[in-house]
Amino acid sequence: MSKWLRENLWRHAFATFMCIFSLFPLYLVVLSSFKSSGSLQLDSFVPKELSWDNYKMLFSSPKIPFLSWVKNSLIISSVVAISSVVVGAASAFAFSRLKFKGKKFGIQLLLLVQMFPAVLALSAVYVIMERVYSFAPSIGLGSQAGLILVYLGGSMGVNIWLLKGFVDSIPAELDEAAKIDGASPVQTYWLIFIPLATPVLAVVCLLSFIGTFNEFIVARLFLVEMQGRTVAVGLQQFIGGQYASNWGAFAAGSILASIPIVIIFLSLQKYIVNGLTAGSVKG
Amino acid sequence: MSSIFRGKFATAIKIAILAITTAILSLLAQSAFASGESAIGAFLVFAIVALNFTYFTKFSIPLKFFVPGILFFIAFVIAPIVFTVIMSVFNYQTGNYISKPASIEQVLILGVESDANQTTFDLVAGKDSNGDYAVLVSDIANQRFFISTQDKITDVDASKLIINEYGVATTAPGFTAISDNELAANDAYSKIRYKYQDGYYVKIEGQGVGAVFRQKIAYDAKTDTMKNIITGETYINNGKGNFALEGSPETVLTPGWRAPIWFENYTKLVTDTRFRTPLIKVFIWTVVFSALTVLSTFSFGLLLALALNRKMRGRRIYRSILILPYAMPSIMSILIWGGMFDSEFGAINNILHTHIAWFSSATFARAAVLLVNLWLGFPYFYLICSGSLQAIPSELLEAAAIDGANPRQIFRRITLPLLLQILSPLLIASFAYNFNNFNLIYLLTGGGPRNSLDGEVAGATDILISYTYQIAFGRGMNDFGLASAISVIIFLLVASISFYGLKKSKVMETFG
Amino acid sequence: MKNRLLKGLALAATVSFAASLTIVPAQAANEILVWADETRGPNLTKVFAKKGDWVPGSTIKVVSFSSYDALKAALDNASGTTGPDIFVAGNDWVPALAKSGKLAPVVLTAAQKAQFTPSQFFDLSYGGNLYGVPVDVNNVGMVFNTKLVKTAPKTYGEMVNYYLANKTKKGLKAGLCVAGGGMSWGALSGFSALGAEPYMMNSDGTVNYNKSFDPTVFAKNVSTLLLDKKGKSNGFWPATDTGCQDNFLAGKVPFAIIGNWHWRTFAEAGFEMNIMPVPGVKAGTYGKMFGSVSGAFLTSYAETHGVSVSAKSLLTSFFASTKGQVAYQAEEGRPPAEKGAQKSQLVLGGQKAMGAAASLSSIPQIGAFLNTNKGGASYWDSAPAYWTAVLVDGKNPLVEAKKLAAIWKANVAAGKADL
Repeated sequence: MSKWLRENLWRHAFATFMCIFSLFPLYLVVLSSFKSSGSLQLDSFVPKELSWDNYKMLFSSPKIPFLSWVKNSLIISSVVAISSVVVGAASAFAFSRLKFKGKKFGIQLLLLVQMFPAVLALSAVYVIMERVYSFAPSIGLGSQAGLILVYLGGSMGVNIWLLKGFVDSIPAELDEAAKIDGASPVQTYWLIFIPLATPVLAVVCLLSFIGTFNEFIVARLFLVEMQGRTVAVGLQQFIGGQYASNWGAFAAGSILASIPIVIIFLSLQKYIVNGLTAGSVKG
Repeated sequence: MSSIFRGKFATAIKIAILAITTAILSLLAQSAFASGESAIGAFLVFAIVALNFTYFTKFSIPLKFFVPGILFFIAFVIAPIVFTVIMSVFNYQTGNYISKPASIEQVLILGVESDANQTTFDLVAGKDSNGDYAVLVSDIANQRFFISTQDKITDVDASKLIINEYGVATTAPGFTAISDNELAANDAYSKIRYKYQDGYYVKIEGQGVGAVFRQKIAYDAKTDTMKNIITGETYINNGKGNFALEGSPETVLTPGWRAPIWFENYTKLVTDTRFRTPLIKVFIWTVVFSALTVLSTFSFGLLLALALNRKMRGRRIYRSILILPYAMPSIMSILIWGGMFDSEFGAINNILHTHIAWFSSATFARAAVLLVNLWLGFPYFYLICSGSLQAIPSELLEAAAIDGANPRQIFRRITLPLLLQILSPLLIASFAYNFNNFNLIYLLTGGGPRNSLDGEVAGATDILISYTYQIAFGRGMNDFGLASAISVIIFLLVASISFYGLKKSKVMETFG
Repeated sequence: MKNRLLKGLALAATVSFAASLTIVPAQAANEILVWADETRGPNLTKVFAKKGDWVPGSTIKVVSFSSYDALKAALDNASGTTGPDIFVAGNDWVPALAKSGKLAPVVLTAAQKAQFTPSQFFDLSYGGNLYGVPVDVNNVGMVFNTKLVKTAPKTYGEMVNYYLANKTKKGLKAGLCVAGGGMSWGALSGFSALGAEPYMMNSDGTVNYNKSFDPTVFAKNVSTLLLDKKGKSNGFWPATDTGCQDNFLAGKVPFAIIGNWHWRTFAEAGFEMNIMPVPGVKAGTYGKMFGSVSGAFLTSYAETHGVSVSAKSLLTSFFASTKGQVAYQAEEGRPPAEKGAQKSQLVLGGQKAMGAAASLSSIPQIGAFLNTNKGGASYWDSAPAYWTAVLVDGKNPLVEAKKLAAIWKANVAAGKADL
């Protein structure tokens, strides 16, 4: 028993502490989502009322097409996540495994460009997409397809870098063996690397999904049609307004919107943890 | 299985995909050229050539992996950066926003004046007997009616007109009126200056309404000056994007244009202490903030991973809870945290029984920012570390244990160095991410507190990106040129530091 | 070889296929594009859905942004390609947007001008040109909770005394707080009641450039009314506006400054609309508030889009007309700017009370003075900074007031040139 204590007590104590730290703000979100007043004022830690008004409002008010927002977010984030991994994985593989001239330069460029404070990129991207709109409105400013392109392009550097980090952690023995067997890099990529890296790719996919799901600075300029907004833009208007803020509806909406992500996370958590390193080629 | 990637079938798929892509891109390129967007069109042509050349020749195998990524990278990462670099040598700011031709056009549009009475007329648009654009004007006050075109004015006697109940003439002999619908469909009517008297003209200002103006400002392209025709004053190009009154450089015509001022934005940042001091302050905090964030999220994540790195009761539950902060939309979490730190009603003060004005004090605000970022970031490193810990070959650890090393030594000598090696790219990525973590600062503190009374322009928690955003998109005066210059300087600084750091560290060796 | 032929054929086929097509941009003719924020946009959409033929031959499309900030960001970035023909916003954006060439001048007939006040036009003009038509009046007012305070306070001191006497007994969280308009715009009356003004006005409604507020008098008022004996905040006037509305509604704050756009929230919660300006230190004086107008502005893009006549017609036939303002304010619930609409029976009591409070003591919101930061900071940043410095950090009220006065003085001097 004392051995158990010695070895496990600190583990439980620390984990419990961190759990409370994690849950605390979330608890307050849940609390305010059940308050009819729509305030964020945290006057009491014990729920005083259980009002479903905020949830009802999300589904009944014609002004709030909440389900469309969720659908938009899911579609945009999924497309961006999958496409960015498809495009990024190839580059990451090349950076990690192939030898070629200018590789070092390429990697450095990739890394440094991410440190460019690209806040003005917003203006540049806006101008570019405005021009695209003038000849192809369906993929220009104001369209979801246009936003997807912007996200995909804007996150390319980060995703390649991230994927490269993961790919580096996958032992190269197998694909080197394939190379000795006479496989071309393209074949190695498809036949050896991709199956091996699937967990890694899935994780980066998920990270990219979450990142896209949360974005609102660009989205609020692109998706102005009420029906076409993402959840982040839609919900932000409850509290970002100049006139009034409704924290209750915001909290309720946030909880509902994060349910799909939380479910994905929880059901895939083992997979994610393994995927984040994917170092195990034991099997 | 492998046949998918070899032989005819693979070639067919490859050709099909490329063909479709090429078709779509050509379509877009053609439309782009057709509507005058030649830069975008040229890029699309470049993309078509690059794709087909790479995949249909054996020119370069690595390029086959890179081309799609590179194209996106150029369009949405490099192009905006190039835009920023170019803008940094312009005085691109409020008041100097449009191009020079557009500015001249606008100055001329605004350079008109109404007559002394600010006369407006009721009128009907249409065509005169020659088929020229014309207006039938009813000067009700003076009971004068006339048809006016660009170059002539013809009075019409009231007896020849049909006049409606408001006293407005609706038709006249030889004049074909157009309906409101037709007028709405053809804006050309509104662009014409219909002749009136004493150098004044009538312009359509809405359906059924015209107003009297005369041109006041004229442009002389030869000398590149603007002249007030009426007073004779001359406005000369001041080289900074405005026409300024001769002898009174403060009096300028608006709007101005974005003019190249070369390195003025840069020299201002280096020599002018009003810009240099806050910039240095913000830069230091940005580095400190990113480094401390990486350090804190990594250490808490690692510690948790170590704590839960064995089979124990409740591990699954712990893990499920611990990744919640990561799974929740961060925009929501940040705003909620903002509410929790509120000095009057926030939950934090409530628990601590304090009355700290968190976001009004530099130290507390910085602490709050770091704490929130820890909350947001530790689950990521927890997940990564727990995965990586499992990836460390157990033989290594067992061997060390047999050699008599205690757990702490094993951790310090083997686990940690191995982890750092595996995770260094992720640590660098995390640093870079937080270096530009705009959302956190913007939504949590807005960069504040900012002691405006003492002339501080940068807030205590402002990081470079939020500071730049403030300059470019803040309230009142926006200076995109200066913000661009800051972006470029920051980039050069960071690039050289990182480059030096990478050269020193072992990270780069693995890239070789 | 066969392979290469195949490739060549496929390519040739696709390129010729693509060349036979061109995308035709979907651009509706005669469509007037109106941009607005998250509350105005949906209300305008509703009004236009009921009656869309305000301009014969044109249709109207409203784009609602998710927030006022998003609208601003889009306007800052937009060019003629996607930009609006008309947008609805506060008057303080006029100088910057006009200087940047994004606005186009509007000319009204004498009859149309007579329906508004000259100061409303002043708010919407820059450099002698009028850029829009006044739509509604923005202002704040002070409301008091009659369950706590029976009669309207006559002086600022009366409110402070009530707060200090009942602070513990009734669990008051503050005496007077800002529930609408924020700590810069909304809080002006709190400043002004104690003697600090961003710029001084003459009795004839013009700006007095030679005078600025007296920091000594103001600091003395702050010390005696807002600070305790140790120089710390007595809690009457909080330095932030968070939670003010909730506390007022909960009866924990007796006085609150509210905006005319959300008086309904308070009326629906059962509060009597005893709206008045914040009383000054001396009886009969009041703190000034910004009585600005929001306008519908014409952009320079309308001409590019070929709808300048239609857009101008929409401004006069809808936005500036009695009928249009009544129809719009029936949804929006703000005090209309147009005289005919102000008289309409459809305008509610609360709207009128806000208007009455504004008429007692409002000053125009002159962007040129408030937005400039020649003194080191703009009005918007320096005003809340004063309260933080004095009420939170416990700095000397006089020293800080002198800094504030110097900043505002420099800004007015710089702004004068920019009018």
